[in-house]
Amino acid sequence: MADTLTIAPPRKEAPLVTGNLGISEITQLVSYHTEKKPPSTWYLAFAISSTLLAMLMVMIGYLFWNGVGVWGNNNPVGWGWPIVNFVFWVGIGHAGTLISAILFLFRQRWRTAINRSAEAMTLFAVICALLFPTIHVGRVWVIYWTLPLPNQMEMWPQFKSPLLWDVFAVSVYFTVSLVFWYVGLIPDLGTLRDRARTAIRRKVTAFFALGWTGANRHWRNYEKTYLLLAALATPLVLSVHSVVSFDFAVSIVPGWHTTIFPPYFVAGAIFSGFAMVMTLLIIARKVYGIRNIITLDHLEKMAIIILVTGTMVGFAYITEFFIAWYSQVEYEQYAFLNRTTGPYAWAYWTMMSCNLLFPQFFWIKRLRRSIPFLFVTSIVVNVGMWFERFVITVISLHRDFLPSSWDYFNPTLVDVLTLVGSFGLFLTLFLIFLRFLPMVAMAEVKMVLPEADPHHYEEHEN
Amino acid sequence: MIALPIVEAPAGPKVKAWRSLPHLHQEDGFAESVQGEFIPGASDRPGNASRRNFLQLLGASMALAGLAACRRPAEEVWPFADRPEELIPGVPLHYATAMPLRGSVQPLLIKSHDGRPTKAEPNPNHPTQAAGTSVFAQASILSLYDPDRSRTLRRAGSTAQWDDFLALCQRLERGDRRIVVMSEETSSPTAIAQRAQLMQRFANASWVTYRPAGRDNEALGLQSTFGQRLRPLYHFDQADVIVSLDADFLGPTSRYAGYAMPAFARGRRLSTPSDEMSRLYVAESTYTVTGAIADHRAPYAAADIGVLVNSLAAELGLIAPEFAQPSDWTTAIARDLQEAGSRSLVLAGEHQPLEVHALSMAINSALGAIGTTVTLVDPPEPQDDTDLASLTSEMQDGNVDVLLMLGVNPVYDAPPELDFASALSRVGDSVHLGMHVDETARVATWHVPQAHYLETWGDGRDPSGILSVTQPLIAPLYADAKSAIEVLGALASGEDQSGYALVRTTWQPLLNAPFEESWRRVLHDGFLAGSEFNAAEAPTRQPARAVRTESSATELVFRLDPTVLDGGFANNAWCQELPDPVTKIVWDNVAVMSPATAQELGVTAHYNKGRYDVDVIALTAGTQTVELPVWILPGHADRSIAVNLGYGRNLESDRPRRRTPIWDTGDLTDIYGQGALGTDIGRNVSVLRDAAGSGIRTDVQVTVTGRRYRIVTTQDHGVLNVSARPFVRMATLADYRANPAFALDYEAPTPGSDEKTRFEDYPTLWEDNHPDRSAAIRDSAYFRNQWGMVIDLNTCTGCNACIVACQAENNVQVVGKTEVGNGRELHWLRLDRYFITDDDAPLDANPQMAMQPMPCQHCENAPCESVCPVSATVHSPDGTNQMIYNRCIGTRYCANNCPYKVRRFNFFAWSKHIPVTVQMAQNPNVSVRSRGVMEKCSFCIQRVRGAQKQARLEARPLARDEVVTACQSACAAGAITFGDLNDNESSVAVQRRNPRSYTMLAELNVRPRVSYLARVRNPNPDLEPA
Repeated sequence: MADTLTIAPPRKEAPLVTGNLGISEITQLVSYHTEKKPPSTWYLAFAISSTLLAMLMVMIGYLFWNGVGVWGNNNPVGWGWPIVNFVFWVGIGHAGTLISAILFLFRQRWRTAINRSAEAMTLFAVICALLFPTIHVGRVWVIYWTLPLPNQMEMWPQFKSPLLWDVFAVSVYFTVSLVFWYVGLIPDLGTLRDRARTAIRRKVTAFFALGWTGANRHWRNYEKTYLLLAALATPLVLSVHSVVSFDFAVSIVPGWHTTIFPPYFVAGAIFSGFAMVMTLLIIARKVYGIRNIITLDHLEKMAIIILVTGTMVGFAYITEFFIAWYSQVEYEQYAFLNRTTGPYAWAYWTMMSCNLLFPQFFWIKRLRRSIPFLFVTSIVVNVGMWFERFVITVISLHRDFLPSSWDYFNPTLVDVLTLVGSFGLFLTLFLIFLRFLPMVAMAEVKMVLPEADPHHYEEHEN
Repeated sequence: MIALPIVEAPAGPKVKAWRSLPHLHQEDGFAESVQGEFIPGASDRPGNASRRNFLQLLGASMALAGLAACRRPAEEVWPFADRPEELIPGVPLHYATAMPLRGSVQPLLIKSHDGRPTKAEPNPNHPTQAAGTSVFAQASILSLYDPDRSRTLRRAGSTAQWDDFLALCQRLERGDRRIVVMSEETSSPTAIAQRAQLMQRFANASWVTYRPAGRDNEALGLQSTFGQRLRPLYHFDQADVIVSLDADFLGPTSRYAGYAMPAFARGRRLSTPSDEMSRLYVAESTYTVTGAIADHRAPYAAADIGVLVNSLAAELGLIAPEFAQPSDWTTAIARDLQEAGSRSLVLAGEHQPLEVHALSMAINSALGAIGTTVTLVDPPEPQDDTDLASLTSEMQDGNVDVLLMLGVNPVYDAPPELDFASALSRVGDSVHLGMHVDETARVATWHVPQAHYLETWGDGRDPSGILSVTQPLIAPLYADAKSAIEVLGALASGEDQSGYALVRTTWQPLLNAPFEESWRRVLHDGFLAGSEFNAAEAPTRQPARAVRTESSATELVFRLDPTVLDGGFANNAWCQELPDPVTKIVWDNVAVMSPATAQELGVTAHYNKGRYDVDVIALTAGTQTVELPVWILPGHADRSIAVNLGYGRNLESDRPRRRTPIWDTGDLTDIYGQGALGTDIGRNVSVLRDAAGSGIRTDVQVTVTGRRYRIVTTQDHGVLNVSARPFVRMATLADYRANPAFALDYEAPTPGSDEKTRFEDYPTLWEDNHPDRSAAIRDSAYFRNQWGMVIDLNTCTGCNACIVACQAENNVQVVGKTEVGNGRELHWLRLDRYFITDDDAPLDANPQMAMQPMPCQHCENAPCESVCPVSATVHSPDGTNQMIYNRCIGTRYCANNCPYKVRRFNFFAWSKHIPVTVQMAQNPNVSVRSRGVMEKCSFCIQRVRGAQKQARLEARPLARDEVVTACQSACAAGAITFGDLNDNESSVAVQRRNPRSYTMLAELNVRPRVSYLARVRNPNPDLEPA
């Protein structure tokens, strides 16, 4: 039948799904992985990441038993690695919702291949992020005081504190992302239910599929809801990291008290989020053989976003310097001079080279399409972004106004293992996701197949 | 509480009412028979059990039957069934007493909470030492509760009884025994009387005064100048020109600090630009706090001080002119001294040889200063009968039968050439009285635990001679503990007499009749008015002699340590954690040298991630070698190495080492968990001293070991660029007079509507609806007082007393060397020390030094308050910034946002495992903070509220300047003023109006409630042309 309908004019856009996959092939290709025994690579990865997760639990237990002193935090540097890790993970948790919501609103059809796993990654990254501010407080057993819970003393949290804004911003972001992700999953859950071979699997998937039948009315409601949620999630993408940046920008610490922070943090978050999506998908598409759905074109598009946001972030770094010089404020100037030449200069230059210089290679198309180079860069970018948060948090704090209180920050083994362990948490959750849920939004990918638009409506609109 | 015998109860009417003859004569059984309602047996059942007993047993059986499974440790709480007179539970009492220290006593008022002494305060009525206390007076509170104190009397290593010792003292009567008492310096009239008694009882007895820091060269120098035994009393407030020759007279170790600091401060205080101030020249071998506040300071090797004093004497015409080695410096000083005439004062350091003391006193005498700036008095105590060296050789020969060592530790710090330990083992009965089972206690035959001065009676004189009684505040914590006079009394009389009786006996002739009234007056006041020394008969000066000088390759200078003194405070956690006032090193002693000497030796102090990895050198003198880490101090004299005594102690403790499971860091962070606290901290350098125990040694070899050692400081090196960061503002006296408000010239314009504000429209960072405009605050009764503090940098010497006072008052915990190295010390008040150099000469060999106490600034626009997510730090209606520990969850955001970095976080549970005795030292009016909460200076809010409560009880308004903070009361220089800014005439409001007043980081518009008075130097125009 396809042979007889070859009258379509050549498409302007390269095909989003390669390999001439049909609708049922896509269903099979994606659903199959949730149904069959996972590959041995999965088991290996799961063993490693769950071990790391166990280590994280041990570290947290050690921390709770002894106190925050098991980390390297000290007097001028009240916030050390936990807050660095928090901002790092929140940043990573930006790509998913950006891809699903903003790119959806902008009709970027290529997002369909990656949005499901990117959103899942977002959720898991935000879980990691939420972990750190929770455990970093001195008395974790009363952390709930940061929530506005009615109590007989009429004692409320202090709404002036950016930390409280964080609590709201991140938890709202998490909730909306979860709902958005779940709503997007409903048609695919219906597919899984219909394919289920065991009663239990059918029952569970049926429960979560909310009675999805694929009826016209269902699709209508679904698409409306999805659109509304996308509209709701879009400002959140921008607000979460803006609010996180307020933790720093609202303070008076030289190096923190900077109005450029909100856009600069959002750009950095998108930058690191895309890098993390890229790292994960390069592995997943290979292991699960879905290279036809997550194509090299997708990766190239992500590389371009990394290039753009990386350059924005680099521009922000340089702007900070200009403003420090322009302000003529000794403390501000010294804070930036200390970044480049002080005892942590190595961290600063690591950040600069990873975030500003390395992505510039993406101007070269050949490198943008080289899988090994993309993989290395995606990791380098995330290293650089972790250091960016380190530079902002630790370097600014360790030398502020009064030289008499200047000191140095040394991370402890517990700091390191907690960070490594948080990757265990993240990867364990991600591997569970890969095992039980369709890693690609099947229904959405099918919408961008040529079959989905047999009359070339979309093309004519364009 | 101590029950005192009631002496002479007032006689009432002598009549008695009685019922019967047995009652009158109190015959046997009469007392029992009148106890019950009926006569004995009348109300009892036949058999043993009364009805009441039966019911009691029945009820108890029922109750216990149900509770058999529940067990609870039996802990008894004892209420005051008989409440001691005047004691109201929870209301502290103050008692006047006096702390013996370095041969005199420091008058104190001790605060006692429910019978526990918790805090030392100055005695405000004392004629000479009414202001301030020293580091050691403050820390002595913790020494009382030292968990490693010796508890039992020991004889040859095993437990013995006081009666055994008494028996020894009584046995001695028979035969002609050689008896020697080796005592620390004491001014106690009781001890002096007992000494006479001892000489009377034993024909062959001697007395030796043991000084850990070596001979008293000052006294010997005076003797050589005037040919008679004299003691100097300096009047720093009378001097216009003061020349210190390596004398750290304002430092914590100084014998005179107690009265020198207030007097010196009087001569430097500038209320108005027209006030005069003294000029201080300091030539010194290492940087001291005295050098830091000097107007002119020059590094001189300690051995070269002789050259300087010769030169001064020659230029003043005291000795032959060939000794003069004139330089700009000496000529200017000599001219200045001559101009000041009798209002000049020259004094030399303790470790300087007696010739330097003699010549500097000769200069004072020649300038006519004797009588104005120096008073000479006759010392009341008799001379020693023998000296340490001849005593030791006598001991070596086995000729000493009994050696009584009172509060001294010669095995630890006697010069090694004397080989005191082996000499001691040849003594028949050696008796050691000490607070710890220390180096000497382990060698001596007998060890008697020494009672702390707050536990027993004693007496003494302050440096000016005023007599005080040392009044105990608590019964000895350990029943065996005895005071020096009790042990000495046992030996001198063979009788066991209580300290109370001994002191009263001594004081009988000193007081006017009726004795009991005068005695109570002395106890109440804390001193005996009118007992000061009279100036000695105008002594005639011997011809001045030049000091023999020799130059040496490298010299070693020994000093008492400003934090642990002679080692007596080595087991005191507050002292060990107290940063050295100049180097800021904690928990260690080092070999301090100049950058040039370090370069010559090829050693460095390598800054490594917040700590210092420093080279270790081996110092060899005589037969001994000591390895010490180096420390490089700008402004130190070249070819001179300064070392501090008092470290490398070896104390025994019966407390077990604390062990915790692997997941629990408790054993690592518990400073009390490793046995005796002071053991093996630093190195004992007293073994490097020569046989005479001189303060300077020139025959020293220095070798570099190639090893490194970790040194921890509370502040790293760093030069303060004053023009860019004007934290410590300074001007010369001339500049100050020309522009009194010079301190404000440094300031960037600030937003707001102050008169000094240049642009009101500048947007402020802080919102308009400040808490102090809310009705809740305005309507509060506390709103009436607005607290503030002013710190005068012109009189603050940086002596550290305020830090320890704050620690004692506010239950600030000690964290140990490692944790200080991690940057987690908890001191609420820190003393910032900056080196100040010209921009053009950053490597100046003699930089200036500035000290700046830094408590919480209690900002009106406090940056910490707005960032706390749970409102755990809030503004009080009286304008202070307060921490609510209960509410704190420990985000540490407030600490990050504090521009002064004065907030301290409890990274571990530091107060959880402190020993029980140390718990007794805690102030019950201040919460002991648990793990995970932030803490900081509270402006001693408990004192503010205490004073307000008192005023309310007395139905009167709070008096002006009634509230005194702990740091303020400890400051002998009176550099800290606290009070109500709403009261225009309060001292703090007056001080704040001083033109030198400025606030730190004013441009941030945080509006600190603490302001500083800029420092004014009074340089000699000849040396420093304007």
